[in-house]
Amino acid sequence: METIVNEYISREIVQDPALLPLSNETSLLEEGILDSLSLLRLVVFLEERFNITVGEADLLPENFGSVNTICAYLRAREPGRQEAARG
Amino acid sequence: MAESRAERLLRSVEGAAYWAAVAPAVARLPAPLAYRIACRRGDWDFRYRHEKRAELMRNLRQLLGDGLSQDSARRLARDWFRFASCEAIDVMRLRHRARSLRRLVEIRGREHLDAALAGGRGAILCSAHFGSFDCCFSLLGAIGFPVTTIGRWQHNYTAGLSPAERRFWDLVYARRLRRHRSRPNIEPWPGRLGVAAQAAAILRAGEVITIAIDAPPLDSDRPRAVEVPFLGRRARLLPGAVTLAQVTGAPLLMGFMYREPDYRHQVLEISAPVPVDGDVATAFARCAAAVGAAIRRSPAHWVYWPSGADLAGLGLLRPATEPSRLTERGFLHDGPADNVPARAQR
Repeated sequence: METIVNEYISREIVQDPALLPLSNETSLLEEGILDSLSLLRLVVFLEERFNITVGEADLLPENFGSVNTICAYLRAREPGRQEAARG
Repeated sequence: MAESRAERLLRSVEGAAYWAAVAPAVARLPAPLAYRIACRRGDWDFRYRHEKRAELMRNLRQLLGDGLSQDSARRLARDWFRFASCEAIDVMRLRHRARSLRRLVEIRGREHLDAALAGGRGAILCSAHFGSFDCCFSLLGAIGFPVTTIGRWQHNYTAGLSPAERRFWDLVYARRLRRHRSRPNIEPWPGRLGVAAQAAAILRAGEVITIAIDAPPLDSDRPRAVEVPFLGRRARLLPGAVTLAQVTGAPLLMGFMYREPDYRHQVLEISAPVPVDGDVATAFARCAAAVGAAIRRSPAHWVYWPSGADLAGLGLLRPATEPSRLTERGFLHDGPADNVPARAQR
């Protein structure tokens, strides 16, 4: 999962080649990699690739701060986990 | 001739009185009389605001070329002040269901907006800080289009305004525009990650997003700005509307509202969808070209003329003084004229 997300961000979103290769811990916000529009593109990609729906309320720095936090968020959104969470 | 403190104070008081008392009363008069009075007030402004008038005429001639005679520049400047005063009447005529303004505005190309919405992906209507653009957005809401605007209310972030002044402009100006829109403006500040996603959700619901695409970028947004041909020069603008259209598949249309020579009638022209495929900068250049064409067709409508700082922020002029553009903390001196109250205050 980390590889898929990292590759997408590196290929489609990072504009400054000096930031590549992108570490999974790199802060996407502090480095200016993610803004509102690139986040939207990322969300559309994640929704299609992982078959999830990302709510507006989830668009927080703690969920999209780095590749690692994005993957943690995605794992928490896995269908099995969501059903378990719902009980 | 620099404006004295007393003159500035007098101007602020006059602006507040015009918006809070005169314009609401005058807007209830028959339209020919109401707009004639507004024009007289514009003429008064034109006559006594020497500094602003001089900068406006200087910028007009710098950007529209030496072919623009002194007389033409003077006439355009006078119209600029008249339009600013007339806009207050437009805003007041948005009361109730905006019937009194609707009677004065002919909409051409409404079928393009209807067809775009019928596609089920919403529609993005791009305009500029041009004429009564904010009234235009609200008018579309009043006639039944579900409209949400991406844009900042200037009185909320102009540095130096007291909370009472902000509240005042909200009451006399923003509230009247807001009531015809589906929801509060989406205000794009740095760090607000959800702005584009919120706009995308609105488009997915089959609604209309309106946006003025000619604002000077914030310092923090400069890396995302693209350089496009504009008014015969290169301007730095944010192509977010195009990116939003590409990601959501929503059609992007252009719309400009022109005031007729009688000052009371206006024509809103809505274009067919602009192609947004391919490279963002190339697609956005088409939108910028439409804005540039509207400005050249009727220069007095463009709100930014008297602000050298804004024109410098767009990359059209070299900064003459210490930049006074919008920063992340607000306008330091003289920001983009997002609305008429702000325009009146300067």
